[in-house]
Amino acid sequence: MQTQSLSQPSLKTQLRALFVIARKDWKVFWRYPLNAVSNIVQPIIWITPIYFMGKAFSTDGQALGFAAYSGTGDYMSFILLGTVLTNYILTVFWGMGYALKEDMDAGVLESNWLTPVSRLLILIGRTLTSLLTTTITSLIMLAIAGALFGFKPTGNTLAAFLTAIPMLLGLYGFGFAFAAIVLLMREANTLVDVSSFLVQGLSGTNFPVQSLPYWLIPVAMMLPLTYGLDAVRGILLKTNTLLPINVEVVLLIVFMFAMLWFGSWFFYRVERRVRTLGTLGQH
Amino acid sequence: MQTSLTPRSLGQPGILSDVRAFQAILGREWRIFTRYPSWMIALFIWPLIFPMLYILTARALSGPDGSGLAVFMKTTGASDFIGYIVIGTTVWMWQNIVLWDVGFSLRNEQMRGTLESNWLSPTWRFSYLLGHTGPQIVSMLMFISITALEFGLLFGVKLHGSVWMILLVMLAAIPSIYGLGFAFASLVITVKEANAFVFLIRGLVMIFCGITFPISLLPGWMQSIAKWLPQTYLIHGMRAAAFSNAGITELLPDLIPLLLFGTFWLVVGYSTFLWMERRARRTGAIGQY
Repeated sequence: MQTQSLSQPSLKTQLRALFVIARKDWKVFWRYPLNAVSNIVQPIIWITPIYFMGKAFSTDGQALGFAAYSGTGDYMSFILLGTVLTNYILTVFWGMGYALKEDMDAGVLESNWLTPVSRLLILIGRTLTSLLTTTITSLIMLAIAGALFGFKPTGNTLAAFLTAIPMLLGLYGFGFAFAAIVLLMREANTLVDVSSFLVQGLSGTNFPVQSLPYWLIPVAMMLPLTYGLDAVRGILLKTNTLLPINVEVVLLIVFMFAMLWFGSWFFYRVERRVRTLGTLGQH
Repeated sequence: MQTSLTPRSLGQPGILSDVRAFQAILGREWRIFTRYPSWMIALFIWPLIFPMLYILTARALSGPDGSGLAVFMKTTGASDFIGYIVIGTTVWMWQNIVLWDVGFSLRNEQMRGTLESNWLSPTWRFSYLLGHTGPQIVSMLMFISITALEFGLLFGVKLHGSVWMILLVMLAAIPSIYGLGFAFASLVITVKEANAFVFLIRGLVMIFCGITFPISLLPGWMQSIAKWLPQTYLIHGMRAAAFSNAGITELLPDLIPLLLFGTFWLVVGYSTFLWMERRARRTGAIGQY
């Protein structure tokens, strides 16, 4: 019995390539166990100042100001949920760009590009392990942070999970476009750090976007992530939502198709340009 | 009789040749710094966006009628919540950047493969670290000035104190911040991958030093830890100097611990460097990565 070779592309070979990429990343991730610890501890460190800051704004333990905007005074559950979703956003949105940069620096991008595997598939493969490790570390983080600060979701977890799926798939489109920019610019760190902070800030990871200055609210409303975070919180924490949840879900689905189309179109266009220029291997 | 004036060679070590080597390292670092324009962009954008996450969260906690803000003002004694947060986050960014820049300076040389050859030159080896520190202090001064300008112009944060007193507090903090960076740089050479240590140290500052809240809100055991971190005094001193018009007398409870911590960390930093240098020569591990 012969195994299907990668040089005869089929669904089976493509899936095998995906699995190989994911297994390689899985091995690399666990070779540095401190990274896993860091993934768990980092978000807790980042939200601790907010926990104590919230206390400075609270009367008798009640964040009444926050409740007036969001519909819940439980600001820590609000922020913890935002933090978990942000972990996934970081994985999908920026993970592919970072992976490309790593391959460029290690000098393996060109040889990977020569394999008979779809380039978008290579990018997707680089996120699979991250998605799994993000799930593991986020659950542990949520358990620890829940014990420290309290986490009280009251809504339907399955509905919230299903709502997050089109948001995540749409993010793959964003990720493709971002990976294309990394191919062009060959510098990812500043780009990732700055854009990640801006997107997190404006889509309401840590606060309801209703509290943004009035001139920033239209910018937040243009970000599909805003609706994803808002809808998931609305379902799980019963917070006030910007639009009815059904409308937000429809927007997320539309965004998913639009971004997947645009992201892959943009990526292939840039990739062709980079190959024409011969700058693929440069960093 | 013919006399020839030859410049003092680095092969004849002396104070003058050390100064020249230091100048050369300083020049090289400055050239590298200015060659990457993305750093200049980061210099203008980071001071704004990092504090913004906390400021926007504070806005949300204030509520539409500002009722939460009144509670915050009462708890912290601050007259301006934006200024209060910006000082805390700027100190955090200062320590964070020093850890990445100074802390990883020798490691970067190691990764480029130039550390071993530099080590062989007849120069005072500590000047490699000092050479990295010079442009870093200049860029940090620019960073802090840009922060002050941006928040002054865009958010109307007003200074209610003396700029000289703020500079004095910052000056007193330089030995501890950079001493920690020196110690860290030496350790990184030995343990190679040290990102997790950066996360740990900056995490301690973030949790215990009150970057967005008064440390009186922390539980007793956390306050005890906060007292052993120089950044706690730096943040408190800068806030007092900037917004409470504190003079030297009022700042002494912050300045004295800062100077004591500074002496401690400079000694620790230099000793760790000497230890690492001896160890590296003994084990021959300086070029490994």
